[in-house]
Amino acid sequence: MGLKQYIADIVEAVVTTAKGMRITARYGVDAKEEITQQYPEVRREPSERFRGFLHNDIARCTSCTMCVKVCPVDCISLEAVRGADKKMVLASYDINIGRCMYCGLCVEACPTKCLTHTSGYEKASVDRGELILHFVHEDPAEIKARVAKQVAEAAAKAAEAAKAAEAAKAAESPKMTESLRPGKAEGSIVPAAPAFAAAVGNPGGGNPGGPKAPDAAKEEWEKKG
Amino acid sequence: MTTPAEALPTQEMLINMGPQHPSTHGVLRVLLRTDGEVVVNAKPDVGYLHRALEKIGERVTYAQFMPFTDRLDYLASMNCNCAWAWAVEKLAGIEVPERAEYIRVIVAELNRISSHLIAFGSFTADMGAFTPFLYSIRERERVNDLFEEICGNRLTYNFARIGGVSADLPQGFLEKTKEFLDYFEPKIPEYNNLISYNKIFLHRLANVAVVTAEEAVAYGLTGPNLRGSGVAFDLRRDEPYSVYPKLEFNVCVGTGERGQVGDCFDRYMVRINEMRESVKILRQAIAQIPEGPVLAKVPRLFKPPAGEVYFRSECPRGETGFYVISDGTVNPYRLKIRTGSFVTMNVFEKVTKGLMIADIVAVIGSFDIILPEIDR
Amino acid sequence: MEALARSLVSAVPAIAGVPLWTVTLLMMVLSAAVLLAFALTFGGLGSYVLRKVAGDIQVRIGPNRVGPYGLLQFLADGAKLLLKEDIIPAKADRFLFILAPYLVFVGSFAAFVVLPFGVGLTASDLNIGVYYVMAVTSLVVVGILMAGWASNNKWALLGGMRAAAQIVSYEIPVGMAIMPAVLIAGSLSLQDIVRSQGGLLGIFGWNLFHNPFTFFSFFLYFTAAQAETNQTPFDIPEAESELVSGYNVEYSGIRYAFFFLAEFGDMFVVAALATACFLGGWHVPFFRAEALPALWGNLLSLAVFLIKAFALVLVMMWVRWTLPRLRVDQLMRMSWKYLVPLTFVNLLGVSLWLLIFKGKGIPALIASLIG
Repeated sequence: MGLKQYIADIVEAVVTTAKGMRITARYGVDAKEEITQQYPEVRREPSERFRGFLHNDIARCTSCTMCVKVCPVDCISLEAVRGADKKMVLASYDINIGRCMYCGLCVEACPTKCLTHTSGYEKASVDRGELILHFVHEDPAEIKARVAKQVAEAAAKAAEAAKAAEAAKAAESPKMTESLRPGKAEGSIVPAAPAFAAAVGNPGGGNPGGPKAPDAAKEEWEKKG
Repeated sequence: MTTPAEALPTQEMLINMGPQHPSTHGVLRVLLRTDGEVVVNAKPDVGYLHRALEKIGERVTYAQFMPFTDRLDYLASMNCNCAWAWAVEKLAGIEVPERAEYIRVIVAELNRISSHLIAFGSFTADMGAFTPFLYSIRERERVNDLFEEICGNRLTYNFARIGGVSADLPQGFLEKTKEFLDYFEPKIPEYNNLISYNKIFLHRLANVAVVTAEEAVAYGLTGPNLRGSGVAFDLRRDEPYSVYPKLEFNVCVGTGERGQVGDCFDRYMVRINEMRESVKILRQAIAQIPEGPVLAKVPRLFKPPAGEVYFRSECPRGETGFYVISDGTVNPYRLKIRTGSFVTMNVFEKVTKGLMIADIVAVIGSFDIILPEIDR
Repeated sequence: MEALARSLVSAVPAIAGVPLWTVTLLMMVLSAAVLLAFALTFGGLGSYVLRKVAGDIQVRIGPNRVGPYGLLQFLADGAKLLLKEDIIPAKADRFLFILAPYLVFVGSFAAFVVLPFGVGLTASDLNIGVYYVMAVTSLVVVGILMAGWASNNKWALLGGMRAAAQIVSYEIPVGMAIMPAVLIAGSLSLQDIVRSQGGLLGIFGWNLFHNPFTFFSFFLYFTAAQAETNQTPFDIPEAESELVSGYNVEYSGIRYAFFFLAEFGDMFVVAALATACFLGGWHVPFFRAEALPALWGNLLSLAVFLIKAFALVLVMMWVRWTLPRLRVDQLMRMSWKYLVPLTFVNLLGVSLWLLIFKGKGIPALIASLIG
């Protein structure tokens, strides 16, 4: 190593250090360069497509189980029973957001677009159970029992109606029976149908109708708000 | 007559570097046998982050595997997403709309920038300069903001879909990307002034852990690590896929600027220069992107024909290849993932012989390994 | 100290009956307490400033939660460290493990004794002040080596060994770089060195501008001293990214705090020594602090001294957040191949200069030319 190289080394070390220090000094002095956002006080607006916690608007959910099938980590669990009007009734709809990886495949798969990402992302918890989001707030067993009862009632009604129709058919001439049939059939379903309509129409709780009379059930939901 | 070294016998020391160590970039364990500060042998021990991704791939459907590719290389999720999509499309022979391909290239190159930024930042942090790391994180945040707009997530994007991408670009995205590029391009010379050509930094890297071109090819190195050894091989150019043939860019190679070709500094500079090339690609892609649909018609119950395919694409950490065997059902019959970092670990033991402990950190940083890629 | 005690006894009639040695002892304890308080406060506030500077440079904010502007952060940190569980590894050498932090702290704290804080503000104006500082700060290396060995941890051992090699080799350039100031003053006493830089030439009385060699000496000293105190470009003994945390990896709680305080203490000692030897010490530019009444003169000179020293500390932090770390062999090379020869050349140059120009510096020569 010659003297020239020796001195060149020293000069290079000094010059490059000075260059670097000039840059850090510029950032150090310039207050405008600070980019920190003080998180709990200042929150940045998540983007429109932000994938936060999942939310299911169960009033619109048809229990098609597409989300369950498409979820790669099986974080969505869904239980549904067939109601009196052949539509599926949700007994439970849980999303384990501790397991969810926010890939968004379920949201894309949802045919009614009732499953959405919210912009929520804060949910620290000391209990893992709290990370399971329940969207149906009633006990699944109760719902199942209720729906089963409804189905049984409807079946009984239908059977009654069928009996009545048969009886009418037997009583009246075949011609008359045919003309009356639609009306009678409609009438026979009436008791079950409003209960269901109310259940589907209810946005909040999403309880499918109770075993009680439809009006009483409606009042109860309104109380739940 | 005995030499002083014989008169004073010394012992080799066995040191466990990792799995918990600040600069092994994750849960890598390196068994160091050292003679004082000099490393006699450094044996990498991988597998602490094994999640059986390949097996998971055989249990889920093709579309469901997409979010798992996010976890393959969490710093370059977009690239892995697109690689998987390209692999499956090649398998099933799906024609992807051109706009979708452009979007993929745009996000992949943006992610290459952000991934190289982390490589640069964490490398300088390993070398003891913590400030450039913060600067690189600052730039990366901007890329993350862009990605959040486009797909809603900031780390695991899950953006590509088989047959296209999940959503079209949001309003004003291309303008924002251009803004970012204008902001970012002058930062690269600043990094060079701040740290790259710093004398101490140069001394730490030049002539350290030289991988010759023959060695690099023989050990199967890919990506920036291969190019750092002076081999101009880039899948984007040499085995073109997607719309890369329509885009012009240089393949950066190590030139032995401050030492031998293939030393740590060359590998480092390749990454810095590749960021520039990515900016170039992005500008062209933004100018060329056509209108049109972004997702091809793919049946919901996607069943590719029986057969096998190997598709490799240029990810920030080297070649990411998916070898898929399909038996015509909804799940792959067998899935093998080839990743750059894993292959790079082979050459680790060879190049670290006779280095010092501090150099081990430099080697790990210059190879830019990422543990989920090594262990899959 | 004894002279001071004697003057105090004669000045205050109320304590005339007290034996002189009692007063002297009391004075000693008092000045030690003041210095300790200063060292601890500096350690705390220094850590705050260090983090704040880091925040500013790294486009962040830094501590800002505890107290106004986060100023009380160091109290919170101190309380945390005090309340932490004191862990001693099962296989550690208990005695040495416990002893090491105190040794390190004593090594850095003892140097405060001779620092010339003001016109008359120095705990003890030793006639071998510079020599004493060099000797006492070398004590740190014993503590660090002890900590590294006693921890029974390979990373700590490596850190301790590195520290020993580093501090021992950098003692030489540090000593050599300070020698010019000693030569000019003709005394090893720090107060004498400071006084030699006075005169109404303002800042041109400083040794920094005495001649070209002293100018370089200052930078050589500053560089070497940074290495001696394990500041960042040379922080290989605790290299976070290599040795995890080096010699203090097994320490926690208040024992760790002692290492921490010693580091900041060292930082201040280095800055103060550089100030005293090259930047005119407590001399107020264009003003004679000695001419003022004792109280005001002392206060003013103290303020000036602290401002100069803190400015140097800031520069050290600035360097710390800019540069990467050297490798251990490069560190040795830098000491033996660059700093040691250069400081020798400098010393030779200063000696020749003093011989040729009869001890006058460039500003003095110019002044005599002008008339």
